[in-house]
Amino acid sequence: MTTGINLPSVETQLERSLWEIGIPPRPLILDQISTEMQKDEPDVHHLARMIAADVALSASLINITNSPYFGFRGHVNSPREALMVLGLNVTGKAIAGIIMRRAFPSSPHLERFWDASARIARLSGWLAQDVTHNKLRADDAYTFGLFRDCGIPILFARHAGYAQILNTANHDAMRSFTDVENDTLPTNHAMVGSMMAQNWWLPDETINAIRYHHHIEMLDATSIPPTLNSRYNIAVAQLAEHLLQLHSGLSVTQEWVKLGASCLRLLNLTEEDVRRLLIDAAPVIKSA
Amino acid sequence: MMTPALKQNMPKPAIDSATGFLDRNSCFAKIAQLASLSTPDQPLTLIWISLDRFKQINQSFGHHGGDEVIVQIAQRLKNKTGPRVEWCRMSGDEFLCIALNYEDAEKLTDDLLHEIEAPLPLGDLLLHPSASLGMAQLSALEDPAECLERADRAMNTAKRAGGGRAITSGDEPLPGRMGVHLAHHELVVENKLHLALQQNALRLHYQPSVDADGRIISVEALMRCTGHDLSPAEFIPVAEKTGLIIKLGEWSLFEGAHFASRLARAGYSIPVSINVSRAQLATAHFSQALHSALLCSGVRPEQIELELTESLFMDNSMAIQENLRAAHRAGVNIAIDDFGTGYSCLANLKDIHAGKLKIDRAFVVALPEDKRALSVIRAIARLGDELGMQIVAEGVENQAQLDALKQAGIHTIQGYIHARPMPEESLLSWLANRKSL
Repeated sequence: MTTGINLPSVETQLERSLWEIGIPPRPLILDQISTEMQKDEPDVHHLARMIAADVALSASLINITNSPYFGFRGHVNSPREALMVLGLNVTGKAIAGIIMRRAFPSSPHLERFWDASARIARLSGWLAQDVTHNKLRADDAYTFGLFRDCGIPILFARHAGYAQILNTANHDAMRSFTDVENDTLPTNHAMVGSMMAQNWWLPDETINAIRYHHHIEMLDATSIPPTLNSRYNIAVAQLAEHLLQLHSGLSVTQEWVKLGASCLRLLNLTEEDVRRLLIDAAPVIKSA
Repeated sequence: MMTPALKQNMPKPAIDSATGFLDRNSCFAKIAQLASLSTPDQPLTLIWISLDRFKQINQSFGHHGGDEVIVQIAQRLKNKTGPRVEWCRMSGDEFLCIALNYEDAEKLTDDLLHEIEAPLPLGDLLLHPSASLGMAQLSALEDPAECLERADRAMNTAKRAGGGRAITSGDEPLPGRMGVHLAHHELVVENKLHLALQQNALRLHYQPSVDADGRIISVEALMRCTGHDLSPAEFIPVAEKTGLIIKLGEWSLFEGAHFASRLARAGYSIPVSINVSRAQLATAHFSQALHSALLCSGVRPEQIELELTESLFMDNSMAIQENLRAAHRAGVNIAIDDFGTGYSCLANLKDIHAGKLKIDRAFVVALPEDKRALSVIRAIARLGDELGMQIVAEGVENQAQLDALKQAGIHTIQGYIHARPMPEESLLSWLANRKSL
């Protein structure tokens, strides 16, 4: 069946949508949360009403809060309960992650990418509880997993040849992933993602972890002075990605080849531990 | 030695019934007692702990729930530290840890924070408490009361930074801030600025430059802090001193490029000028940040102009010179800002890839009376003409200045005489009004 209309391709639609919306501005709800956090007596009811007015946001927030991998045991039924259990700070991070995903136009091409991000986020949350012994909070690891690669969909929409660049970077076992991108763009998804996070005034630790998540120097802390939190975030998310690739049997990146030893050193783990984690993580990996 | 101030608070040691900790009054006596045993090798350590968002817990779970949380946390803290430290309850949701002979006070502080942050069961739910901690160690000859005040101040700094963290008195965990000494008024400005950033109160305002024919040559993006009683003259020097200017500069670049894109889509082909500081230009990733801003906004490079002070062009730093070349290769315009006040080497001007030169406002405010200033301006105008650069005078406020500048051969003007810096919406209305004239 033909409609008689030349429909633009998915990529063109996506590009047009992003062109029109630009990079998503910081969500108003994050401003409200910051304002309330400064008060001696934050008006949680007001925030809960604001969140509840957005049914999809409300549902996603409840969903994340009830996820065992976000680090909070128990069951909540409303944004107000979620706010109470998570606190304003963590709720802000959870909402940022949810809205960031929604800010991008829906596209079948990107669905797999978002699914992968969500899987890395869940597994990172689980790993934070299992391997960092509370040095990294599960909610931190989870939200970093959501944000880590947010530069990729932006570059997909903005640069016609980005799929090819990504493919080359994924297969390069020598140069750092971002160096491969820099050669052509000349910038990279980590820089783009961190600038978006900066534009949303996310915590410096998150911005730095996004910006340097392909930098081995960041893990080894030889040249850049990162916070321990940023380094743990990077290592845990890399380990999560590695476990997911081991589980699927599809090794589509070379990142573990380049960064794996440094990640294990930082997390004080051995290859034997990784094998154990792969078995233990199976239910997490299979969970939706 | 016990100070008179502490002695007054000495008698009647009392125990808080809920936690078993010393109460606030007894704490002063205990500090004084242990302070006398403090040595430079193993100084007395005070850690002031304030639970975050405790009022919400009370509101939601009632005072009984709140009390239960306090008791559980107090128990954990006591178990963690054992008999080696003394504990006091300073108020409903605040504790003080007094430690002597503790090898690693910073580790102790971190351990306490982790202990508090471990999930805590309350009814059917599992709370995730957080706290702000301030740690101070008694220095030689210091009054213990002062040390206590420092711990309190550090705790408050941690609280203002969003809670969930520990800060050592005298340390500042902010980027680029370590080792920088700030005067008291600068600390106040810095705190206000961080608060403003968290609340998304930073905005770009735009001020146009207008040529002799009334055409808008460019608009300069200027940072403003809305609703926090903080002028750029206050916060920019502090941001430069603390290194925060890099973050502000990257934000400005990203935001300014997006505005240029919106301006183009609104039908105005006017470049947006964005200020770049030395610290920002010296970063290893400046070029990537510039390309990210261009790529994400979709703006053409020629719609962006980077304003750099003249001293940067003479800077020997390899990173700066490489970033200047990268900016030129990217195709953005370059303007020399505040020309005439810094250290200049005129011979180098011919090698600079700058299309615009902005005369510092210091020359303009002296007009029309100061004939020497006028002579310098006339010379700059001739120099600019010879080098094919556009010359702009900044800070023009009145007709007399405007006339003097025209006589000197300067025809492109930025200043209140045409327009003040204004928010995006106002600028768009201003442009639309001029179009309709």
